Amino acid sequence: MNRDPAGRQSAADGSGPSEGRRLFADYEMHPAYYDEMFEATGVARVHCRELCGALDRMQPDEIAAMQALAERSFLHQGITFAVYGEEGAQERIIPIDFLPRLLDAADWEVVERGLRQRLKALNLFLADIYGPGRIFADRIVPIDLVRGCPQYRVEMRGLEVPHGVYVALCGTDIVRTHDGFVVLEDNLRVPSGVSYMLANRRALKTSLRNLFRRHHVRGIEHYGQLLRQTLAELAPPGVSDPCIVLLTPGVYNSAFYEHMFLAREMGVELVQGSDLLVHDGFVYMRTTTGLRRVDVIYRRVDDDFIDPLAFRADSQLGTPGLFYAYRLGNVTIANAPGTGVADDKSVYAYVPDMIRYYLGEEPVLANVETHLCREPEGLSFTLDNLANLVVKMVGESGGYGMLIGPHATPAERAAYAEQIRKDPANYISQPVLDLSVAPCLTADGAAPRHVDLRPFVLHGSETRLVPGAFCRVALVEGSLVVNSSQGGGGKDLWVLSS
Amino acid sequence: MLSRNAEGLYWIGRYLERARHGCRLLSDQLETMEDRPVEEIDQGWRRLYRAVHRTPLGGFLASGEEDEEFMLADAYTMADDLTFEPDNPDSIRNCLAAARENARQVRNILGVRMWSCLNLAYLDVRDVGIETIWNDQPDAFYLRTEDAIRTFTGIAVSSMYRDDGWHFLWLGWFVERTQLLAGLVDAHIAQYPIAAPHNEADWRALLRICEAHVAYRHLHSHGHRPGRMVDFLVADPLLAHSVRHALGRVTEALDAVSSGRSLAVEAGRRAGRMAAAIDHDWPNRDPDDDDATRAALQGVRDSCLLLHEDIAATYFHYEISDAP
Repeated sequence: MNRDPAGRQSAADGSGPSEGRRLFADYEMHPAYYDEMFEATGVARVHCRELCGALDRMQPDEIAAMQALAERSFLHQGITFAVYGEEGAQERIIPIDFLPRLLDAADWEVVERGLRQRLKALNLFLADIYGPGRIFADRIVPIDLVRGCPQYRVEMRGLEVPHGVYVALCGTDIVRTHDGFVVLEDNLRVPSGVSYMLANRRALKTSLRNLFRRHHVRGIEHYGQLLRQTLAELAPPGVSDPCIVLLTPGVYNSAFYEHMFLAREMGVELVQGSDLLVHDGFVYMRTTTGLRRVDVIYRRVDDDFIDPLAFRADSQLGTPGLFYAYRLGNVTIANAPGTGVADDKSVYAYVPDMIRYYLGEEPVLANVETHLCREPEGLSFTLDNLANLVVKMVGESGGYGMLIGPHATPAERAAYAEQIRKDPANYISQPVLDLSVAPCLTADGAAPRHVDLRPFVLHGSETRLVPGAFCRVALVEGSLVVNSSQGGGGKDLWVLSS
Repeated sequence: MLSRNAEGLYWIGRYLERARHGCRLLSDQLETMEDRPVEEIDQGWRRLYRAVHRTPLGGFLASGEEDEEFMLADAYTMADDLTFEPDNPDSIRNCLAAARENARQVRNILGVRMWSCLNLAYLDVRDVGIETIWNDQPDAFYLRTEDAIRTFTGIAVSSMYRDDGWHFLWLGWFVERTQLLAGLVDAHIAQYPIAAPHNEADWRALLRICEAHVAYRHLHSHGHRPGRMVDFLVADPLLAHSVRHALGRVTEALDAVSSGRSLAVEAGRRAGRMAAAIDHDWPNRDPDDDDATRAALQGVRDSCLLLHEDIAATYFHYEISDAP
């Protein structure tokens, strides 16, 4: 019998009726994009051959059923994500695509080296702009761009941070084009997604056990311990066994599952602003046996909301006096307040220059060519070429407020151009990238979909990262937007050990 | 333990016990509808509503309306009100939603199995309505929901680390049980006075709701005597669903978490006084004086409210000045 609940045509290619259709039988490579699995139609890349052969021998239904089971278990375990502004969608899972994406050791080496380099430079940049400002004096980065950025925190000027580490964790979005890996953006404030990376890995490891074992995939499960170690290293001087907490905005935050998950992985308390209080310059949490001193706060709350006395006064999520305790050096906040200035979409354009300036090296990972509308040439170029560009608002993330020129109607473009003219400094534009594609399971068998990857880098007294990433995939055919908040899905990324 | 986590576990206990109690009340009431006259069924609803301190949205049957169809329509509305009504904070669905919301807050200290069990119980109740369960087998729905809650407690017993979290879960659970049992027995006596001629079925039902019928039969082979049953449900320390037993568990939990704090003494002392009142004052009241019996039960309910305030002020919401 042919198991084919989706009503797909099968056995038309001459395979026996008991076999059904092969997964990659009708896979059509997209002529314009780099394909992560195939180098030519029907020819898998060397490191993908074994996987490709094994998957091809499985029934698409079988994989779809495993996928559905995994997604149901995500829902039951509450591995969910909330999309703001969507009625009734308070808790949604991030759909998982069960066809793993493979990265060979050489590719990963480039990514890893590039990320280490980038994070090192970004930390030096932050120390510089909140300190001596050499990079302004040397006219590498314009001072007004940085000081005028809404994420710049004047309160951080001249403040010593432990070990000079501003960014203890980041999640960098990387895509592959025909020219190699390109950094799309650095998320230096409160990057999320690491829990989905781990959940996807667990789901695939359980369901495709034999395949997984045969591939010698490098492990990522120790991420929680590395994170804890990193945070412990950043404790205020003289604290040997620091009390670490994870500060969450609460259950209504879109990434609450992740906060909960990481607190459990690290074995630390998950606190909300109201659980903490500041007394005599120290931070304490309220426990059933009294107040307990807190030394390191891994905060998943935006700068604006961490302390109503220092930042936004109407914040209900923060703890009054927290920034005061931080200034005194009695508590570490990771990431430090004010790191957002370095992942601003305009400042992003200068990261390659920062790497050359601080490290005297050429960037390992390229940037996307970026036009700043704050500059007259950038503005006119953007307005003249709107139909071929992606335009983003500098302060927005998560794929909100952006225009994809080629996909927009003339009316949409005209309206957007009007917005840009009103406030040019708020916009940047980039060419539409030829993001690579990877095969994904669809109702009609495997088909190419755009993918990116977000590895997570930790920086304490040394830089650490697990060989893996949250690989996001645009599940809608032709879509270039992989953001989870815009309906993207996830894939497991297998970094091969040799 | 973080105060907010302790509070979350405490409320999980309270809400789940409230939902479980609601299931018992309703499955019992629906069972009576199978073979009892309309008038008695109506009395059953009155007792039930009194026990949960609520008035039905459309009122009770007026006299003269004792007709089968009215009764059925009424039962449908009232069961809906107590099970699914969004505006009824104590409806079974709302209790499960609240328990789950608290569980979401403390998920990092709740095992995956405990969370999944509670989450599934909630999803099951979220996705049905009165019309579905009414057309199916309503009592099966209540049994299933109750079983899910019992499974949760089973997982807790077999897997939870015995730290403060464990004690706060049961503290909430048994404060709630004390309060609900006192309210139920009080409502029962108000509806069916002890000295008045009685229908044995009404009293058997009370025992069944409290899962006390088998134990009672073993101990009292000479039949159903309302006064004795009330004593059993209030003062027997060995009966899982007696006021005295629940208070014993409250005292145990408070002893375990107090760790010598001065304010904590207040909550422990209050619970101790409540238990002592049942051990010493309860037997000395006139068992035929329903007013005295009901006053004692209302005393228990009132003390539960104060006890809750003591617990919250000592462990959950204390000020810096009161911190140990």
